[in-house]
Amino acid sequence: MDHFPTNWGRPRNDAFDAYATFPIHQRPSNGPKDAFSQGVQRTQQPIVTGTSVLAIKFKDGIMMAADNLASYGSLARFKDVQRLQPVGEYTVIGAGGDMSDFQYIQSLLDDLVVEEFTNQDGHGLGPKEIHEYLSQVMYGRRTKINPLWNSILVGGVKDGQRFLAYVDLLGTTYSASTLATGYGAYIAQPLLRRAVEGREDTLTQEEATKIIEDCMRVLFYRDARSLNKYQIATITASGASISDSKALETSWGFAEGIRGYGAQTQ
Amino acid sequence: MSSLNDVAGPQQRQFNPYTENGGTILAIAGTDFSVIAGDTRQSEGYNIQTRYAPKVFRLTDRAVLAVNGFAADGNMFVKKVKQRLEWYRHAHAKDMPLHAIARLIQTMLYARRFFPYYVYNILGGIEDDGSGAVYSFDPVGSYERETCRAAGAAQSLVQPFLDNQIYFKNQQPAPGTSFPAHLPLPIVLKLVIDSFTGATERHIEVGDGLEMYVVLAKGRDLSGLEGIVGLQELSTKSDGERIFVIRRELKKD
Amino acid sequence: MFLTRSEYDRGVNTFSPEGRLFQVEYAIEAIKLGSTTVGVRTPAGVVLGVEKRVQSPLLESASIEKIMEIDAHLGCAMSGLTADARTMVDHARVTAQNHAFTYDERIRVESATQAVCDLALRFGESVHDEEAMMSRPFGVALLIAGVDEQGPQLFHTDPSGTFMRYEAKAIGSGSEAAQSELQDKWHKQMTLREAHILTLRVLKQVMEEKLDQHNVQLAQVTPEKGFEILDEVRLKELVDDM
Repeated sequence: MDHFPTNWGRPRNDAFDAYATFPIHQRPSNGPKDAFSQGVQRTQQPIVTGTSVLAIKFKDGIMMAADNLASYGSLARFKDVQRLQPVGEYTVIGAGGDMSDFQYIQSLLDDLVVEEFTNQDGHGLGPKEIHEYLSQVMYGRRTKINPLWNSILVGGVKDGQRFLAYVDLLGTTYSASTLATGYGAYIAQPLLRRAVEGREDTLTQEEATKIIEDCMRVLFYRDARSLNKYQIATITASGASISDSKALETSWGFAEGIRGYGAQTQ
Repeated sequence: MSSLNDVAGPQQRQFNPYTENGGTILAIAGTDFSVIAGDTRQSEGYNIQTRYAPKVFRLTDRAVLAVNGFAADGNMFVKKVKQRLEWYRHAHAKDMPLHAIARLIQTMLYARRFFPYYVYNILGGIEDDGSGAVYSFDPVGSYERETCRAAGAAQSLVQPFLDNQIYFKNQQPAPGTSFPAHLPLPIVLKLVIDSFTGATERHIEVGDGLEMYVVLAKGRDLSGLEGIVGLQELSTKSDGERIFVIRRELKKD
Repeated sequence: MFLTRSEYDRGVNTFSPEGRLFQVEYAIEAIKLGSTTVGVRTPAGVVLGVEKRVQSPLLESASIEKIMEIDAHLGCAMSGLTADARTMVDHARVTAQNHAFTYDERIRVESATQAVCDLALRFGESVHDEEAMMSRPFGVALLIAGVDEQGPQLFHTDPSGTFMRYEAKAIGSGSEAAQSELQDKWHKQMTLREAHILTLRVLKQVMEEKLDQHNVQLAQVTPEKGFEILDEVRLKELVDDM
């Protein structure tokens, strides 16, 4: 245990370098120097990782998107991975971070949904309940210093209510009309907010799709750990659907005109 | 300058179970009222995670708790306090008095002395004797009753302002007069709003929205609350202490 | 077909066909063998009185302890197997201290009583991995007196774990006569002194020996001074005035 309060609240990015960009920034540490405590420590890092997930509210429900890449460090290791997953009838979750931890979470949620189904009480879990459950799991694991290394978006519609919220490896939760994890929080979130805030109740599904597509395109341009192949989940009162994988229209012609690096000298 | 080669070889990192989610909270006690406020921005680093994540929670009809620091710990802590309050109600057939909630919070925080809830708590409300009260806590449970307290990201901006305006620090009373121990409600509300607009102006982690809870002692009239925009009553009884919330916008940049 | 009554006496937690727990009922009977104990509530406080049976002239009557302090605002008097009461009083004391530690307030009289009664039915066979705490029911009844935000209160507990609030209550061997006397003489606006006198008179009526300051003990719980056992000087004064 670190008894120095100044070391407690460091931004987690000091410990979590999702993209394995060396060197990781180090602060002087007052961490435990006791050999025994080193022995029982569970140091962790994500291994096979997914990048951003985006989600917005629109008129009829929630739209979520994530690409199909699972990276191994800087290697684009698996290029056909589904990072969006329906849970029950009303909810879709999307995950970034460690993909094996995500698979474990999927199996937890599968068990939960099956158990709920076997009750046959006419009550299915909604997005709010699934988010609360996930939050407790994530916070419980961080408290055991054995986190599930993910940032997860939970979106859905139940009883005419749209729900969209976030939970991550620390158990941090929040809700907003636009959400983005990973690099998306830096690159897509400002674009999403400009396009969506104040228009949550008027945006059509087509407009929402366009906004999401545009953001996925920007992310593909700027995020080195992204892929030009992604899926969109749409959750409305009539249920959840996850699209087939699709490619983005991109043009790289502008690269010719960029000066300062590459083949051209002047 | 470090390059790729410098860091080749095994690297160990420790998972850090904490983060800071910004924001500021504050509470001021009057003779027969208490005001507890917090902004609604939740952030991490330079990211605004959401513009609306409440940090101030109604516990009973006469107690309000503001929680600031690591949001996940804060939410869990509030959840556990509320659970204890319900158990107490079942066991003792009454709402827990304010000073008892304060002591309970201490024992709950200190129980986690060696893996603390990384949260600063401020508890406000009405004491059994009808006086307005504010209790402030550190993350491991040290607490004291005060007239006012600010905590969180902009504590260093707000507390000196409050010291000057509430405790009249660095001021001399006019000859033959003295400073009041407690200020009236309208002035307190103005000070709270000014504290947050000021903190929003100068601190990047403060802004978006403001929630001010006002708890009035049993039998106190509503003077000081007439004509306040965005006022909403939350009391469950009309004959006991009354509790209100005032919501305001803060700058979002 | 039905087992005889005695066979339902074997297991302490076995209901008889008529739906009775004999062991608990016997425990309640045991109290009727105990010395008489009286409690009287007034708006000014609660008075507890016990008879101390001095069976031998060689017995130190001061060593008979039938009234005990639970907390500064709580006291109790007992009748029956007084040794059993130590377990209960000990539990009540810990509960009261825990409450004060956690909540920075005095525990309510009813909550302390409830805590004691929660113990009462913890006898019998153990449940899976849990160890049985006690082999038999408590053989003692308590009168718990205290003062809290709801004023002075008097509670009676019995071995079944039932508790009830009383204005005045007598338990033990002389309880029937004592209770009807209390019913006659108790009134709403009694002073504390009147309650002292009433308690002594009721005890005197049911005691075989002649009542004096050595063979009775009196205690009171008041909002002002909390729990106190009256010393022999004050007791003698009251006995003389009776």
